Amino acid sequence: MTCQGRSYCGHPRVSDVGREVRMTGWVDALRDHGEVLFIHLRDRSGIVQVVFSAEHTPPQVCERAAALRNEFCVAVTGRVVERAKDTENPHIETGHIEVMATDLTVIAKSKTLPFPISEKAMLAGAVVKGVGSVAEDLRLQYRYLDLRRPTMQDQLIKRHRIIKCLRDSLDEQSFIDVETPVLTKSTPEGARDYLVPSRVHPKHFYALPQSPQLFKQLLMVSGFERYFQIVKCFRDEDLRPNRQPEFTQLDIEASFVDEEFIYELSEDLMVRIFEIGGIALSRPFPRMTYHEAIDTMGSDRPDIRFGMRFIDATGIFGNTSYGIFKQILKRGGCIKGINVKGQSENLSKNVLQNEYAKQIVPGFGAKGMTWMRMINGQLESNIVQFFSNDEQRAIIERFRAENGDVILMIADPSYDVVASALGQLRLHIADRLGLIPQDAYRPVWITDFPLFNVTDEGITSNHHPFTAPDRTDFDPADRRSLLALRSRAYDLVINGEELGGGSIRINDSDVQQKIFQALGLSDKEVKEKFGFLLSALDYGAPPHGGIALGLDRVVAMILGTSSIREVIAFPKNRSAHCPLTEAPSVIAHEQLAELGLFDPAGERRIAGTQEDLDLIDSLSWVSRIGIDDKERPEIAAALKEAARLAELVKERAGEDEPLFSVVNATNLIRKGAAARISPLAENGELFRNAPSVKGRYFKVASILE
Amino acid sequence: MHSDIFTYIDPSQPSTVAAGPLAAKSLAIQPNMSVRGWPTEAGSIALDRFVAVEDATVVKRLRTAGAKTMVSTRMSELGFGLAGDTAAQALAEGHADIALITDTMGEVRVAASTTGVFGFKPSYGTVSRFGLIGLVPSMECFGILAGKLEDIATVMVAISGSDDRDPSMPGFGPECELPDFSQVCEAKESIAVAGLVKEAVDGLGPSESEAFSAALSRLEKAGVKIQELSLPDFDLFRSVHNVIGSVEASSAGGKYDGVRYGHRSASAKNWNEMYLRSRGESFGLLVKTYMLQGAYFQFENYSAFEDACRIRARLVRKTEELFDKADLLVFPTRRPGFDAAAAGTINEVYDAFSLTLLANVTGMPALALPGLVFDGDVDPGLQLVGPRLSDARLLSVALCLAG
Repeated sequence: MTCQGRSYCGHPRVSDVGREVRMTGWVDALRDHGEVLFIHLRDRSGIVQVVFSAEHTPPQVCERAAALRNEFCVAVTGRVVERAKDTENPHIETGHIEVMATDLTVIAKSKTLPFPISEKAMLAGAVVKGVGSVAEDLRLQYRYLDLRRPTMQDQLIKRHRIIKCLRDSLDEQSFIDVETPVLTKSTPEGARDYLVPSRVHPKHFYALPQSPQLFKQLLMVSGFERYFQIVKCFRDEDLRPNRQPEFTQLDIEASFVDEEFIYELSEDLMVRIFEIGGIALSRPFPRMTYHEAIDTMGSDRPDIRFGMRFIDATGIFGNTSYGIFKQILKRGGCIKGINVKGQSENLSKNVLQNEYAKQIVPGFGAKGMTWMRMINGQLESNIVQFFSNDEQRAIIERFRAENGDVILMIADPSYDVVASALGQLRLHIADRLGLIPQDAYRPVWITDFPLFNVTDEGITSNHHPFTAPDRTDFDPADRRSLLALRSRAYDLVINGEELGGGSIRINDSDVQQKIFQALGLSDKEVKEKFGFLLSALDYGAPPHGGIALGLDRVVAMILGTSSIREVIAFPKNRSAHCPLTEAPSVIAHEQLAELGLFDPAGERRIAGTQEDLDLIDSLSWVSRIGIDDKERPEIAAALKEAARLAELVKERAGEDEPLFSVVNATNLIRKGAAARISPLAENGELFRNAPSVKGRYFKVASILE
Repeated sequence: MHSDIFTYIDPSQPSTVAAGPLAAKSLAIQPNMSVRGWPTEAGSIALDRFVAVEDATVVKRLRTAGAKTMVSTRMSELGFGLAGDTAAQALAEGHADIALITDTMGEVRVAASTTGVFGFKPSYGTVSRFGLIGLVPSMECFGILAGKLEDIATVMVAISGSDDRDPSMPGFGPECELPDFSQVCEAKESIAVAGLVKEAVDGLGPSESEAFSAALSRLEKAGVKIQELSLPDFDLFRSVHNVIGSVEASSAGGKYDGVRYGHRSASAKNWNEMYLRSRGESFGLLVKTYMLQGAYFQFENYSAFEDACRIRARLVRKTEELFDKADLLVFPTRRPGFDAAAAGTINEVYDAFSLTLLANVTGMPALALPGLVFDGDVDPGLQLVGPRLSDARLLSVALCLAG
């Protein structure tokens, strides 16, 4: 089979009428009218209708055509003709013509498909079902078929265009693509590393990179000045719906630059690639400090497509007699609110009180929510009676409340709780009421992050420890001054989604040392983990900085797909499993032994060793029974006893067939034919014992965060 | 009445005096036996504030027989062992004539011998387990504590027999006859030969041995021939019960997830955490440890579970063979040095029930008789075990011996 002289299915137009064409592709759909057989022939370029009819097609070809089924791979020869009036197909680009077949070769047959691939109806006005209802795991298992669909092809082709555009733009500006290693050393990015055992260094491991951070900094020390890479990064993090264990990042670093350079460069790139999806971003992108983002929208990746910014109401209630507010303010708390303009009709008292105040807002971590509606120039709510006239006036004024507005307030002793809960509430309300413009794309730079965060274990870097602080004269032992430091980091957020981030880095080894000290790393740890970086910074390191963009997310946003898996050819599913290759998989003991990870001689466990702890944790996990540390010794002893029992019963097992019950088991079939709902469910009694119920459902914690 | 004995006292008094064989008796049950509308927490946080929505089959049948089920006594967590169990106390203090408790590893018999009443564990499969909240489905069943053997027979008449809602019961018929408890008190059964399993008494201490021998000679005076028999695998009842019991507990305990009922941890952020924390907070250390042992056999060493089931088959077979040489088997009920109420670890629990496990593993009927054996002031008890479904005969024999 030769491709010589091949025409593409998607190309012929009315201007080609009369041409002889030879096309190859797959049978997308068939319509058999007995005398005449229509097929949709599909290749990467598109779809064309091919007609087999006794009138134009030799009988033996018609005979072969009768055996065609969906997704057979075929070659067709024929002549382009204009379609009869009213038989045009608006669903396909070639809808005004069709090909009268004169020859057909079946190149390869196809088995019956696990799900439909065809997306284009053969008749005007007809609807094709598509894969909407197909389980995603089935699509992933047969990904090679799923990718035949024009939608998927288009998405991957657009992804290619976006990446090509990035490469070209960066190349134009003298950025060099340098590859960094995939087998590398664990870097402290915060997430867990994927580890690769070394055979030649038994019990030693490489780590797959979470980002090429240190290498790109070293390239700056080496004087490349402008580096970029489209690079795979790996993070062994907990499962989230829109997260992949491996993901693609556009990684950029440049020397002798400041923040403005990175903003300029990134904005230019973003404008160009969004154009590929027909989206115009306006420049310059606005900037917002971290503090402002948290204080007015409760998130460091705020969605600025809509307003509803927070209004601080703490001052209004300085002398309030309303007990709850009084208590909260006494404990140094704060009160913030939002004004949901003109939505009073859509937020009934029942929704506000029973849904939001009682269920939704507590789910956001706050104890409760105060709501008020502005009706006839007056505030109305279940608690408005507790507010003085002055307070009511102040609320109306501060929130600029007008008739029809709904004011929602959250009060809590913790500022963080107020900001976070009100931020989630802002999004929830906006989503519910359809206040978010769906075709708007609003980028924003978030800047001036705190350099450090406080955690239970001490302080940690907000981004990573190589981020430059806003000042370098700090004392690494003075916790208060450390927490006051701002970083020279920036995040790029669009529509509430963080698409990338970066920073100006530290290029002075003394400052870098001080940061490590502040993080509580010992000299030994620093030397072990980052010795090579500190050493490099001692040889005339230029000022430098960069950014990394999560390409999967960026592409998904530009193409408007429901998940990043739609723009990745072979993604893992939500459980970090690949249904196609069935990775990850169990490997042979021999392979483990070769890597020094398994001892076939069967070293016995010693009680209290790490293996025992791991065993307890793994049993606790598979049983979903939490345990606390003081229970461990007894559980360890019981498991040791269980292992002894296992040995004993193995030794004395004998030959009898296992007996699972002393009564011969019989399968009982429930009498009666029709399925019915248990009367206890019908009358609601089943729900009486439930810890949490919503309507006629048992309510549980969310499956994915 | 004391609330440290009872978890619930039915406030409703029957308006008319009920009729039936149990009308005159007061009954105690445990909060793992479902009675519609009663708090049914089975001694576990896992069933925190659970109120039963249906009656257990046994409860229905007891009511039909005229019983005034009035009280629910305290129990160990999910009926595993006797820690905190107050059924025997309720009987001893005269609050009830009859108490029903779950026998998972010998609870009914050990409780009986500590209180000086009769304790009967029927053959597995003769009494419906529908509405019984338990832990080890293949080995546990309702047992009866009573001061009078006649009361046990009356209760068995009321509650035994097949139940469509308990799929673990056999279909009774000519091949598999349900014991006829109605004739227990009339039948004059006596036994010629009682088998004594050598390995069961080998482990007794000197004073226990002496006390038990005295009881045997009392039996001999009553005309019973004591035949020494051997069951070399007797030590395996404990291992087999531990392996199988823990696997069943781990598996059957899976339903306690705090979704449809029971305890839900307040602080879980997501689905997995909800299960981990709710279940972590639901079970006491003893039951939790037992379930994790079961998880070990299920997930890390499944062949051990199968091996234990192979041995179970052999133990059933070898025990049945003993009845070729004896009418019944006699055992002590408990070892006074091992206090079932104080047992805090899995091993301590098994130490306290080492002599009663045979009947649970084999599903055979067993009866603890009081007042025949004394070790100092303590009663190690005497236990009769018969072949499966010989329950009625076992009770008749006991009536003759006790009378």
